[in-house]
Amino acid sequence: MADGDETALGTLYDRYSSLVFSVAKRILGDPGAAEEVLQDIFYGAWRGASRFDSSRGSMAGWLLVAARNRAIDRLRRGKGRATDSIKEDMVALAVNLERKAAQDVMLSKVRKAITDLPEAQRSACEMAYFEGLTHTEIAERTGEPLGTVKTRLRAALGSLKKVFEP
Amino acid sequence: MSQHPQFDEDFDLLALGALESHEKQALESHLAGCSECARKAQEARERIAILALAAPTEAAPAGARERLLRRARGDAAKPQQAFAAGLRPWLIPVTAFATMILVVIGGLLAFENRRLRQNLRESQSAFALLQSRAARDRAVVELLTAPDTLRVALASGTPRALPEGKAFYHAQKGLLFYAANLPVLPANQTYQLWLVPAKGNPISVGTFEVDTHGNGQVLLPSLPAGVPAAAFAVTIEPSGGVPQPTGPKILIGAVS
Repeated sequence: MADGDETALGTLYDRYSSLVFSVAKRILGDPGAAEEVLQDIFYGAWRGASRFDSSRGSMAGWLLVAARNRAIDRLRRGKGRATDSIKEDMVALAVNLERKAAQDVMLSKVRKAITDLPEAQRSACEMAYFEGLTHTEIAERTGEPLGTVKTRLRAALGSLKKVFEP
Repeated sequence: MSQHPQFDEDFDLLALGALESHEKQALESHLAGCSECARKAQEARERIAILALAAPTEAAPAGARERLLRRARGDAAKPQQAFAAGLRPWLIPVTAFATMILVVIGGLLAFENRRLRQNLRESQSAFALLQSRAARDRAVVELLTAPDTLRVALASGTPRALPEGKAFYHAQKGLLFYAANLPVLPANQTYQLWLVPAKGNPISVGTFEVDTHGNGQVLLPSLPAGVPAAAFAVTIEPSGGVPQPTGPKILIGAVS
């Protein structure tokens, strides 16, 4: 794809479009807005393919981080909230998501890990991940003390960390 | 933030974007000078990226693929010579020269812009660091000078024991804990401080290492809301800490 190969763009799209669109749609709710995010990400990946350095991470990692980051950015702008973008560096995923079968295995593992969390922890985690809320914003939304929200998020992330450990 | 974050989960919170701006700036300024924490932050980014898979699976809309490829084809169809071909011959060198000048000016402006941005980032980081230190210092003074702050002495259970700890605890203002004379642990172990409530299991309030003199500290950790401490204890646990104490109890002290 580094040479602007259209076929390679098609392959990349076929491999990851569902993952990227699912994240954007979950965050934005609106399929039209989610497709705009998807188009921008894949087009940007195609235009910037020559600068892609596979030693610094995987394309799948970048696509997932970019999908979430840009959808959250758009969501916050739409609600008139200040944006404080998350770092959109390359990340090296511990799993290979190139094949559909590998994606399906990882999907079940992540979803089980999330559903296994206590309800309050899962909810705090989803508000942070899919709505881009900070500690303080979650505390304001739920009416819980800030310390409780922090403790819950830390506990949730601690549990998830154990699940993702190789 | 000059010290390592107290909890490893703070790296995940950074990757998640859940930290407030001042917390984020303080942690990022620490990461700039600490390769170990920078590595942990990168690992956290990898973990958090995977959470994207928790979104319900949805196929991209029909036609999205074709729209993307059409956009890419449109881009590829723009020949670089099209602009030059439409110009009069004498305009080509003039345009080339003007372009060169613009490129040079653009380069200088970009360089200046980068320099100013870098200065701004450094100033913001320094300011955040000072704010964070000042807030912590204020909180320490408030806790130490509050008349109802309880002082708790922690000691080893054996008569020969030299290790000792001091906790300054105020249910609303927080906790300062200082340990002394503790042996330095191997790399795969850490000291973990526990808040022991009157009822229920101990709650971890942080892990700490000791220096070569055996001194360590845990300052103003996040305490569980609405759970007063009946005692504090220190155990030796695997590196990174554990949810419930498993290792030997080194220090314990009741809140009187």
